Amino acid sequence: MGKSIIRIKDVTKFYRMGAETIAAVNGLSLSIKQGEVCCLFGKSGSGKSTLLNLIAGLEKPTSGQIIFNKKHIERMNEDQLAEFRQKYVGFVFQSYNLLPTLTAMENVTLPLIFRGVPVQERNERAMEMLKAVGLEGRANHKPSEMSGGQQQRVSIARAFINSPQVVFADEPTGNLDTKTTYEMMDLITGLAKKNHQTLVIVTHDMELSEYADRIVVMMDGKIERIDEQQQSGGEEV
Amino acid sequence: MSTRDLIMMAVRNLWKRKLRTFLTILGVVIGTTSIVVMISIGIGMNESFQKQVEEWGSLQVIDVYSNNGDMYISSDANANRGKPQKKAVLDAAAIDKFKQMEYVEAVSPIVRESMLLVCGKYVSNASFIGIDPAAMEALGYKVEEGRTLTAEDKEGIVVGRDVITSFYNPKLSWQMQMQAEAPEINVMEDKVIMTYDGNYGTKYANKSIKPIKTPVLGIMPDGGGNGYNVVMPLKQMEKIQKDKEAWKKKQGNTGSANQKKKGEYEQVAVKVSDLNKVQEVQQQIKDMGYQASSLTDQLNTMKETTKMLRIVLGAIGAVSLIVAAIGITNTMVMAIYERTREIGIMKVIGASLRDIKLLFLTEAAFIGFAGGVLGIITSFLMSLIVNLVATKQASEMTSSIPVWLYLSAVAFATVIGVLSGYLPAKRAMKLSALTAIKTE
Repeated sequence: MGKSIIRIKDVTKFYRMGAETIAAVNGLSLSIKQGEVCCLFGKSGSGKSTLLNLIAGLEKPTSGQIIFNKKHIERMNEDQLAEFRQKYVGFVFQSYNLLPTLTAMENVTLPLIFRGVPVQERNERAMEMLKAVGLEGRANHKPSEMSGGQQQRVSIARAFINSPQVVFADEPTGNLDTKTTYEMMDLITGLAKKNHQTLVIVTHDMELSEYADRIVVMMDGKIERIDEQQQSGGEEV
Repeated sequence: MSTRDLIMMAVRNLWKRKLRTFLTILGVVIGTTSIVVMISIGIGMNESFQKQVEEWGSLQVIDVYSNNGDMYISSDANANRGKPQKKAVLDAAAIDKFKQMEYVEAVSPIVRESMLLVCGKYVSNASFIGIDPAAMEALGYKVEEGRTLTAEDKEGIVVGRDVITSFYNPKLSWQMQMQAEAPEINVMEDKVIMTYDGNYGTKYANKSIKPIKTPVLGIMPDGGGNGYNVVMPLKQMEKIQKDKEAWKKKQGNTGSANQKKKGEYEQVAVKVSDLNKVQEVQQQIKDMGYQASSLTDQLNTMKETTKMLRIVLGAIGAVSLIVAAIGITNTMVMAIYERTREIGIMKVIGASLRDIKLLFLTEAAFIGFAGGVLGIITSFLMSLIVNLVATKQASEMTSSIPVWLYLSAVAFATVIGVLSGYLPAKRAMKLSALTAIKTE
């Protein structure tokens, strides 16, 4: 594996809940390598989602450093974060997070719209992405006209359309049945491996961790252990 | 994010909630309409004043009087109090000076003489005015029959309609004159003469005064400023005055005390090419030491008296537009609550703060713009109705909407939209992406 793309140094994140202070992430350090599929695994409340949000710049850490390609994410302001997300990051969410009024095609092009890519170019790229996720026939359907699996495919297409260096997936299959879950995991890891993109998956499902090169098992805001896997399921695609 | 995408997305968002968008726009329509109609009534009133004043003569003509340096009778005497009054003479040099001033189109001396116009056995009293014939049209004299004087005219008169209808037979006593039928006189064709003998045609007539023959070239409309006037070329008038002086001398009369020196005039009319520059030119002439007045003085006084009314009208319109602006803000704030999640998603997938802000501002601006455009259409219709009612009641409350008012109404409504959308846009911008995305 190549050099590390994300380095997390002694990061903590405290939440204040009334009089109590909860440490969601507590003095955690981790390196994620370029092109690897990294799985943040843990029970609910283990701090895995918070860690993902911190890496993606959706939340600011209470202390510590998060370095993405030599850039300090924790020091970025809102504008810099927007640019960072626009250029380097793709997101897949458990609840798909598609805009309900836009068609599949428009949802996929949205990141390109914010980047100011001209209509024709972005439509071509969106069509390619929809083909890659097997939804070319559904380009003009609205999210409400699609199944959960199809919606997640649209959101995967949207996450990858910018050719981001890292794709974050937060419980990407939480709302899907088992069969669709495997389809989705094959698809997402396949796409990431193909372009040597880094994939960070948050899950509480042990089955999914089979797809990962590395499994980071979390507990109470700390890393319990890290499992390295020789074979990655994604490469079979 | 390109402007095109921004507008497309904004319109789409508004379209999604048609009824609410429509109602918000309706508020702006009502606001715009009321402000435009109120202002248009103010403008309409001013225009009808102007029309009224224009009946008295041209608004673009300044009457300049010489200043003898003694009594200074002027409306702005206060402004000149304490200043030594220099003597300002209206002579050929002064006229040349006026002609060279900016915005001055024509200049003519005005020489007045009260004489009788005679046609057969009938006479009519009239104020005879000698002017530079070339400047007659420019000075705002209008004819309803025949023509105005031109530069080529050496002699010939243009008669006011009221002069013609006041012909009477001087031989009759005044009671008989009252009962007598108005004589039928066609001055354009009948032989017409002028005389400075006030007793012409009566037994007191002075045989030593020779009446002057002259062709009639045109007739000026009755009423207005020139109904009782007779206009002739300056040269012809000067000749008559010379004759009169000669006759007076012969009679042993040494002439009146206020007799003007040769080549000096009591009054000069100055035509200004641009209505908006009349006051400016008038002030310049005053600064030269002359007394000057124009009908714009009267017009301004009239406008001043209705200023308060116009301000109140405008304020009524402004209130409804403010209500509409609050409506826009409310709609946009509501939209943020509904679209919190959407805003979060957009932020997470790379929308900059600027994009979010612009999106909301564009939506608000569009509401303002659409309201403005529909507003001027309804204003146009309202204006028609107001004028219809005004004509029926012969009221001065007419409505007039100039093009600039249409354009600035749309621009203003759009600006109001943007301003109303600013606070909501700021809120949308500040939403935390993470919290927003977790909102259900």
